[in-house]
Amino acid sequence: MDNLMKTEWFKLRNDRSLWVLTGIIFAYAVLQTMMDRLDGGELTPLNDYYQYYALSFNEQIVSYIPCILAGFFITSEYSRGTMKSLASSGNNRIRIYFAKLVMFAAGAIIISLTMPVFMTVISAIVGFPGSLDWPYYLQTIGLTILYAAAFASIMALFSIMFTDSGKTVGFLLLFFMLADTMLGMISSKLTFLKPVHDNSVFQLSKKIIEINQVGGTEMIKMIVIPIGTFLVFGIVGSLIFKHKEIK
Amino acid sequence: MSDYILKTNHLSKKYHGKMALDKVDMAIAKGSIYGFIGQNGAGKSTFIRLITGLASPTAGSFELFGENSEQELIQARKRIGTIIEGPALYPHMTAAENLEAHRLLKGIPGKECIDQSLKLVGLQDTGRKKAKNFSLGMKQRLGLAIALLGDPEFLILDEPINGLDPMGVIEIRELLKKLNQEQEITMLISSHILSELHLLATHYGIIHEGKLLEQLSAKELNEKCQQYLHIKVDQPDKAATVLESELGTSEFEVVADGSIKLFAYTEMPGKVSKTLTDEGLILEQFMPMGEELEEYFTHRIGGVQHG
Repeated sequence: MDNLMKTEWFKLRNDRSLWVLTGIIFAYAVLQTMMDRLDGGELTPLNDYYQYYALSFNEQIVSYIPCILAGFFITSEYSRGTMKSLASSGNNRIRIYFAKLVMFAAGAIIISLTMPVFMTVISAIVGFPGSLDWPYYLQTIGLTILYAAAFASIMALFSIMFTDSGKTVGFLLLFFMLADTMLGMISSKLTFLKPVHDNSVFQLSKKIIEINQVGGTEMIKMIVIPIGTFLVFGIVGSLIFKHKEIK
Repeated sequence: MSDYILKTNHLSKKYHGKMALDKVDMAIAKGSIYGFIGQNGAGKSTFIRLITGLASPTAGSFELFGENSEQELIQARKRIGTIIEGPALYPHMTAAENLEAHRLLKGIPGKECIDQSLKLVGLQDTGRKKAKNFSLGMKQRLGLAIALLGDPEFLILDEPINGLDPMGVIEIRELLKKLNQEQEITMLISSHILSELHLLATHYGIIHEGKLLEQLSAKELNEKCQQYLHIKVDQPDKAATVLESELGTSEFEVVADGSIKLFAYTEMPGKVSKTLTDEGLILEQFMPMGEELEEYFTHRIGGVQHG
């Protein structure tokens, strides 16, 4: 691992916002699972519990919660002045950006996996009936990682443009709330944009939950598009950062 | 190998149609401590931001360690340590953790340098205290420790003694002098505390409204700083007449508080005092003075202005 990656990893490990967010999600996962176990009704089978509770709720977490981390992990480097020492450290700005992006994506992945992993583990421990459909479980975990990274790449691009953490968090939350709806509205008027909307990470991420019903070509699309999104937004973000004046 | 660590050629930067930096030709010799003087908004920070790669020049160029292409400059910046517009710290980390983050960034092997740096700036006892709870002076010291990591050959320090207590100022001044003399670290220091800069700098650059007005060595500055006799007598008007009639000079200035600045006869203070007392004047204050850096700077930029 090169110097920049080591530095960003060190900073990510010491980032309090990451562990606070992860802790809150973990606490929610524990409480929700325990409450569902103790409510006295008929217990949902383990695999269904994972699919219809953990995974469906996690859809929101993947696209919203890392917005908060983006503000603290990326944009706050400007307000603290540490972006100046990073940019003047004798490293290429594109490499600086990608090191930051990769580690931010790692943080977003940690946040995005907390709910599906811990809800499953706890529900298994406390005796939800049945067994886990491991191929389905691993496929959804893999796709969650890919889509968390793709969303992280979009978030990083905007985070590098703002210099105020609050603005970044506010903007990103609004953006992720409205982007899919807006893109849908625009593509309904401008039909040539419909394929863009239909194949966007915003739309495809909703299909993770039903990946067991998706065929071969669709599956490839589900994998290739988030990787492409990560790369395209990563490249655009790095070029913006390369030419940005750091104040 | 060039004798200059940094050489700029018509370096210019325009912001919103206004020249923040206008054709600056600066040369910083290896081993020197370059005091960079200017009011707020004069262009000091803009200059530093261009050199450190935080912004790009609108026109002109510069050489750092003799390198001037984009890729070479990026590599050359590995050889510099910086404090730009205040220390860059991670507030939720301790002093040692802040240094660790920068050690990793600079790729310095081994963690021994962290303790050494903390000791060098007197922060070895800060333990688990987070940087956000440090005083301004402690933050400055930590910023300096970070800048010194990796044994840089060139230090760029923007207001390095800002917020330090008097003892801290002396300690940091002595440390910078020591680093300059023993390790031949070249320094570019911008500071508003000109009296302090005067005790440290070997060369000066005066910048005003984006233009580098003058570059001079400490020796040249001392020669240029005008010497005078400060005289305070019971009757200033009579003293002025005596100076003109008895000593035949009009090279003096009566200041608002009634004291006189006599720019002639600076080598013969005895003759002046005798002439004045012989004429019945009572000398309340009488001493040779020299224009300080602050006065020279004020004079050079054309009087007191508010930045």
